[in-house]
Amino acid sequence: MSAQAANAPAALATESATASTATKALLVGAAGLGLTAVGALLGPDKHGVVMSYLVGITYWTAIAIGMLLLILIHHIVDASWSAVIRRQWEHATQAFTWLFVLFLPLLILAWVKPGFIWPWMNEATPLHGGHGTVGTDVLYQKKSGFLNLGMFTGMTLGFFAIWIGLSHLLKKASVAQDSDGDTKWTFTNRKLAAIGLPLTALSLTFAAIYWVKSLEYHWFSTMYGVWFFANCVRGALSISVLIMLWLWTRGDYKGILNTNHLHSIGQLVFAFTVFWAYVTFSQYFLIWNANVPEETFWYNLREVNHDGHTNQWWYVGLVILFGHFFVPFLYLLSYRHKVIHSKVKPIVLWILAIILVDVCYNILPALKDGHGDSLPFFSLNLLWVATSVAGIGGVCAWAYLRSFPTTKLIPIRDPRIVESLTHHE
Amino acid sequence: MAHVEHAASAPAILQEVKPAVLPRAVLVGHGRSFSWITDKICGIIEGKTPAWWWWCFIVACFVASFTVAGLVYLVATGVGVWGHANPVNWAWDIVNFVFWIGIGHAGTLISAILCLLRQKWRTSINRAAEAMTIFAVVCAAIFPVFHVGRIWYAWYLFPIPNSNIIWQNFRSPLEWDVFAVSTYGTVSVLFWYVGLLPDLAVLRDRFYAAGNKFRSFLYGLFALGWRGSNRHWSNYEMAYIILAGISTPLVLSVHTIVSFDFAVSLLPGWHTTIFPPYFVAGAIFSGFGMVLTLMLPLRAVYGLEDLITQYHIDCMCKITLATGTIVGYAYSMEFFIAWYGANPYEGFAFINRAFGHYAWAYWIMITCNVITPQFFWFKSVRNNTALVWVLSIFVNVGMWFERFVIIVTSLARDFLPSSWGYYSPSIVEIFTFFGTFGVFSVLFLLFIRFLPVMPMAELKAVTPQADVHGGHDHH
Amino acid sequence: MSTAATTTTNLATMAAQTHGLIATFETPRDLYHAAEQVRDAGYRNWDCITPFPVHGLDKAMGLRRSIVPRISLAGGITGFITGMTMIWWTGQVDYPLTVGGKPLFSPMFAFPVSYELTILFTAFATIGGMLIVNGLPKHYDPVLKYEHIRRGMDDTFFIVIEARDPRFHAANTKALLEKAGGKAITELEA
Repeated sequence: MSAQAANAPAALATESATASTATKALLVGAAGLGLTAVGALLGPDKHGVVMSYLVGITYWTAIAIGMLLLILIHHIVDASWSAVIRRQWEHATQAFTWLFVLFLPLLILAWVKPGFIWPWMNEATPLHGGHGTVGTDVLYQKKSGFLNLGMFTGMTLGFFAIWIGLSHLLKKASVAQDSDGDTKWTFTNRKLAAIGLPLTALSLTFAAIYWVKSLEYHWFSTMYGVWFFANCVRGALSISVLIMLWLWTRGDYKGILNTNHLHSIGQLVFAFTVFWAYVTFSQYFLIWNANVPEETFWYNLREVNHDGHTNQWWYVGLVILFGHFFVPFLYLLSYRHKVIHSKVKPIVLWILAIILVDVCYNILPALKDGHGDSLPFFSLNLLWVATSVAGIGGVCAWAYLRSFPTTKLIPIRDPRIVESLTHHE
Repeated sequence: MAHVEHAASAPAILQEVKPAVLPRAVLVGHGRSFSWITDKICGIIEGKTPAWWWWCFIVACFVASFTVAGLVYLVATGVGVWGHANPVNWAWDIVNFVFWIGIGHAGTLISAILCLLRQKWRTSINRAAEAMTIFAVVCAAIFPVFHVGRIWYAWYLFPIPNSNIIWQNFRSPLEWDVFAVSTYGTVSVLFWYVGLLPDLAVLRDRFYAAGNKFRSFLYGLFALGWRGSNRHWSNYEMAYIILAGISTPLVLSVHTIVSFDFAVSLLPGWHTTIFPPYFVAGAIFSGFGMVLTLMLPLRAVYGLEDLITQYHIDCMCKITLATGTIVGYAYSMEFFIAWYGANPYEGFAFINRAFGHYAWAYWIMITCNVITPQFFWFKSVRNNTALVWVLSIFVNVGMWFERFVIIVTSLARDFLPSSWGYYSPSIVEIFTFFGTFGVFSVLFLLFIRFLPVMPMAELKAVTPQADVHGGHDHH
Repeated sequence: MSTAATTTTNLATMAAQTHGLIATFETPRDLYHAAEQVRDAGYRNWDCITPFPVHGLDKAMGLRRSIVPRISLAGGITGFITGMTMIWWTGQVDYPLTVGGKPLFSPMFAFPVSYELTILFTAFATIGGMLIVNGLPKHYDPVLKYEHIRRGMDDTFFIVIEARDPRFHAANTKALLEKAGGKAITELEA
């Protein structure tokens, strides 16, 4: 079987269609980012806008990390069925560069106005309840070797260096194989995966600690990195399903994708639904059962106000419990719900939405009023979350679509590509 | 060369598909036939009992007698014969319990998780690994059951109405353990039995043909009249995959609940949220260590190199490496958060582990669990079967010490310095634990003598000649 | 094979007492394609006998997806409800006793046990369901009288078409099996 030139006019048409979609995505991104910027500069609550932006960047970075992990896992286990989707992950992880650019404003803000986002960055930040300032807080003093601006900046630059580096190297070897069909690229990527997995695991853990957990720097939980990992992979799998459906509808994946690919990825979405629930339940349950104030305060902020009244976050927590676990779990038990396009699409969209709520639940209660109570979930901040997510998401989609036409749709010379094309149960 | 057949509407890109050639490892070496597999595996059971089996069996029985003696002495005297004393009221009993339960987990993992992930290489090792699970649960159960002291009241653990009218305390993680371990034992036996069903039918027919009516009757009794009907296979396979599907969350939950025994408490070094997945990873790690320890000699004595190939050993080494590294991640996370949490008691617990009176145990644990598996990065190590076997022993030792370190170091330095102590096991404890290796070996030897050590039906299904498609796509 | 030859000559006269016809296949692939032909001929009461589950044979036989999962699900739900109810009733209703300052009942601490019971009951339902749907244990089956049937546990594949199938016709069915590549087609006694 010899390689033949693709149908040129059809290919050109697809290419221009992709380009116009990319432009649209970039416009959405620019609009979202513009609105967020307007809010940050002119809005009444600048702190809320910036925190919402942190939600957006954490959300999309998590998904990109998930994609990177999927590529790494694909290579390390010498997987077969996922070969047809792997190229899309390789395109999507190109967004890391732009995520880094979009993270820079937060980094600059941290230097210009320390303590504005992460309270521990400024020793003069007062503690709630009149317990002095961060600088006089013995808990901060003990952690200051880790929680300081220099470490934060260096580590954040390091995380992005790891992610950008890995995603470029993985894609480079994969694309190179398309032209020469040499198996050495497979081994290159396998070695990269062996080194990349521990690096990614550590970097995502510390990113979760620095960016999210340290917003409430008194609180600690060894499970936190695992929780973040579960959301990363789940988000990435859900986006992958959407990409598969989109490319199918557009015609690219016709004759390539079959029901079993959707079934397999659906099973992974299901498995990570259970894993997420397991991790999140374990963390909550251990803290609930031990009932030690130095840990429970984090959940108390998300349940009751200082006067004992239940706040909105309590209900958000319930929505997460049911929406993040029970609904997808029961829904995805069915085989049909994993493989019929119109049935699987709503649930992955739902999962993507609820991951966002979960990220909000972890970040936004750090916004507090004068009593030290968390600001309610339903507020103007939701608007800024929406603009940030749309803005950063638009840029990510643009980065993906920009990379998309530069290579073959599938890794045509991958040693496992035929196994993947003929994937059966 | 493999090629793809396409419908007329197939996209142009499929014309360009031309995979680089990188053959997958064969799972059954030398292109063995179906009947070769049947003869090889049944031959182990039908042949004469080898002399080495008897020697091993006698030694194993002797070792097992230590457990029996230790337990008889305990029941006759009281739990005080073990070395527990304030402040270390939990020690070897629970260390050994968690150790054995953890060993069992690789069996379920190989059967269930690898089945769900369609890792076909599991077929050579899953039967023996499942047997290992059951025997490990038996060894594990000995310790908590006898630790209750008056074992004739052990049924109080279950919610059976009794003359005291009160019920079990369902707020206690120990009560959850009762349900977790008994469910685990039951489901493991059922899963194992369902897997054995078709193979028992093979043995039934072979003993019948050989004229051994008695053994044919016994195997036939348990084969339930299995005839290889595809209408049966269809439901059977569905049931099997469901059992695999529920065994996966089961195995995770069992070690999670075991970790709850510690993590729901308030003790520094025990109360940490990462315990559930950390314990599960550790359990899988120790279990694979034990699978390697058992399977490598078995492969050598029965000449099973065509069924447990170098590829299988590679896979097991890599899983050991991966889970060992996850365990390393958990150790570092615990240490880091102990510092980051800035709780002086938590911090002390960890400094004390690494540099206190039990530092020797801690560094044995780190060496065996984090450093040993790193050797599996190297192909030359994985290819050296003897070395792999030795390293697998280190893994077993390391995981025993992990539980010892977690349990004893935290208790020996509790909140009240005046009651601090140093725990040493009594001779009765040492005997009882030593003997469980004999109990385990006796059961395992009986298993390899009387039951098929590998699932014949599953092995046949992964041979190339079993594939009805032959590389062509029919979907 | 002499027995096969004699029985074949008597097929027409003995059809009333026969259990059905059995045909032998050497490879899974032969069996697979033969099964497709028998399925397309519209037979209902027929079966394949294989030493291992042949991949894709369910589809070739036109079998529907097994109903075992539904039985399992019912078992699982029963288990979960049993656990929650038991812990609520013993702890909150029958003998309320405060321990460790914890509530008398909470789904939090009731979860681990209910979870284990979910799995336990699912396992029982799955295995029980599989055995009941398959009609096992089964003491006797007419195919046992076929002298070569034992190789069906080893390395040989069979198709059995039962006489009670409405489309069964001694000569036509035999022709179908022959056309499908079946060897040593033999009549089975009831």
